[in-house]
Amino acid sequence: MIRSLADVSKLALSKGPKKIAILAPEDEEFMLAIKKSWEMGYIEPILIGNIKKIKEAAKKVAFNISPFQKISGNEHQGISDLGIRMLFSGEAPIAGKGQITTSYIYRSIIREEAKAGSGMTVSVMSLWEAPGIDHLIAFTDTGVNIKPDLKAKREIIKNAVFVYHLLGYPRPKIAILSGQREVGGKLVSYEDYEALQKAADAGDFGACEIVAATSFTDIFLGGRDRRVDYGNINGEEMPHILLVPCLDTGNILCKLDFFLNVKRSSLVATSRGPVCIPARSDFSDNIVQQITMSVALANRMEKEVQ
Amino acid sequence: MLNSFKEILAAAKQNEVKKLVVPCPVAADLPLLAEAAEAGLIIPVLIGAGSSIELLVNGSPLAAEKYEIVEENDPGSVLGRAIAMIREGGRGDILMQGGVKHQDLLNTILDKEQGLLPKGRIISFISVFQLLKREKLILVTDTFINNNPIIVEKQKILENALQLGRILGIETPKVAVLAAIEQVNPGIPSTLDAAILSKMAERRQFGKAIVEGPLDMDCALSQVAAGRKGLQSVVTGNVDIYLVPEIETGYLLAEALVLFGKMQTAGMVMGTSKPVILNLPFVSDENRLVEIALACLACIKGGTNG
Repeated sequence: MIRSLADVSKLALSKGPKKIAILAPEDEEFMLAIKKSWEMGYIEPILIGNIKKIKEAAKKVAFNISPFQKISGNEHQGISDLGIRMLFSGEAPIAGKGQITTSYIYRSIIREEAKAGSGMTVSVMSLWEAPGIDHLIAFTDTGVNIKPDLKAKREIIKNAVFVYHLLGYPRPKIAILSGQREVGGKLVSYEDYEALQKAADAGDFGACEIVAATSFTDIFLGGRDRRVDYGNINGEEMPHILLVPCLDTGNILCKLDFFLNVKRSSLVATSRGPVCIPARSDFSDNIVQQITMSVALANRMEKEVQ
Repeated sequence: MLNSFKEILAAAKQNEVKKLVVPCPVAADLPLLAEAAEAGLIIPVLIGAGSSIELLVNGSPLAAEKYEIVEENDPGSVLGRAIAMIREGGRGDILMQGGVKHQDLLNTILDKEQGLLPKGRIISFISVFQLLKREKLILVTDTFINNNPIIVEKQKILENALQLGRILGIETPKVAVLAAIEQVNPGIPSTLDAAILSKMAERRQFGKAIVEGPLDMDCALSQVAAGRKGLQSVVTGNVDIYLVPEIETGYLLAEALVLFGKMQTAGMVMGTSKPVILNLPFVSDENRLVEIALACLACIKGGTNG
C-alpha cells in the first residue's frame, strides 16, 4: 500500500525510467523538474512543443536534451492532442503537462476516451500528504467538472476508487463534502451525499465506503456538537477520498499547499495511463513529486492491463 | 492596525464596557462570559426563566462577576425580547447566540419589522484568521450564512468585509476574489463575478480598497506563483480579505484552515445594525473571547454595516 510520497518515489525509482510525453515544457521551472526526474531515473522525456522555446528553457537550467525525442508544435491544442494520442496509442505510458492551459489537455483526453470507447469521464485528483494522517488524501474533481451533477459525481467517484485500488487500498473511505451546516436549508451537495451513500452501500462503486461525514468538522471532531481544541486535533478518521461539491471548492482547497504544511500531487487517470497535471505556478520540486506519482501509477496500471 | 488576536483583545479592553445580551444562556457559555466580564469587556445580560438562570449562574464562575438577568418565562419570546432590547438601545449592545438554534437566530435577525437588518443590507459571516508565520490577520468571507450569493449580494458581502477591515485598522484592504482559475472564463460564473467586482473597485465603487479577481488560490497566496502565470498585482501574496464564490467553498475553507492548518480563528456576523456573535464548532473556547472583543470594537468603530 502506498501511504506517502516517499513510498511513491521509492516505487517510481524501482520501476523507472518510463517514457513520458511532456506537453510544452517551455518554462525553466518545468524543464528543471524534467531534468531532476531524468537524473533520478524516473523518466525518459519526449519533449513536445516549440523547439526553440524548449531549447532555451533547457539551456537556462543547463540540461542537455540532445538524447531525447523532440516533436515540434506551436499551437497548444495541437501539442496537447499529439501528446495525449501518444499516451492512448501506447507510445508513452504517461503524459505530463508543461506550461500549457489544462483545458487543452482535458479536451484532448475527452476526445481520445471517446475514440477508445472507454466510457471514462475525465476528472482530476489532487493528492495530499498531510502531517498526522497516515495515508494519502485525494481531493476530486479539482480540475474539470465545474458543477458536477449526481451522475457526474458517480463517475468521479469511480475514477478515484480505481486509483486508490491501484495504490493498494482495498476499500477506500470516501467523504462527500458539502457546505451543509445549521442554516440555509438543504444543499444539493448534501442531497447528493445521501444518494451517493445509498449507491455505495448497494455496491455501485465497487469496494469502497462512503462515510457519514460531509465537513471537516465532522471528520476531525466527530460531530458538530464538539468544539475545536487545538491541542487535540487529529486526522485519524480522515477518509482517503474527498469528493468536492464543485470546481471552485476543489481547486481552492487543493491549492492550500501554498499556505499549509501539506504536499500536493495532481493527476488524471485515463483509461490508458496517468496524465500528470501540475499547476502552471508549481515549482520544480513539487512537479518532480507529481511526475513520480504518475510513474508509480503507470506501473500499477500496466500491471492491471496485463 | 491590529495584527493579532492579542491586539484585538487589548484594543477592546481600552473602551467602555458593553452590554452583551444572551437569550436562553447555556452552562457551557458561562465561563466565557465570566472571563469577558472580568476582562472589563462586557456585562452579560441573561434572558430567560429567572430562577433557572440564577441556578445556572450560581454554580459557575460568572457568579463572581457583574451580570444582569431579564426575566422572560415564555421560551418562544426570549429571542424577540433580546433583539428588542438591542433595537431600543442602551439596554443591549451586542447579541450572542446563547441556547438558541442557529436558524431561529438568523430568522429573527432577518425579520424586516423586528430584526436587526437595516434596509438594503444583507448579513454575512466573516472568519478572521491569525497567520502562522507572521503577525497579520486575514479575513475570509462568507463562511457561514449565504449559500449562493449573486453579484449584488457579493458586492454587499465585500462591503461588510471592508467595514470589518476598517474596524481592524486596515487602511487600504487588499482583496482576492477567489475562483477556480485566474482567467475570466464565461463558463465559470465565479470568474465573471470576480471580474465585475474587480472592475467596480477600479472605479472606486468600494472606496479605498484594491480588489483583484478572479484569483485562484495559488495566485492569491504567492506573488511568485502569480508571476509564473503572468499575473502582476500588489494583492497577490499579501491578501487581507479573501472573498469566496459560495458557501461550499467558504465553509469548507474556514474549516480546513483550522483543522488542517491549525490556524486560530474568530468570526463575526456583519451587516446587522448591532454586532451578533454566533456559536460555531471550529471556533475554540479561547477564541470566542476574541469574538466578543471584536464585537466590542465594532460597537465603537462605526458598527457592523459596510
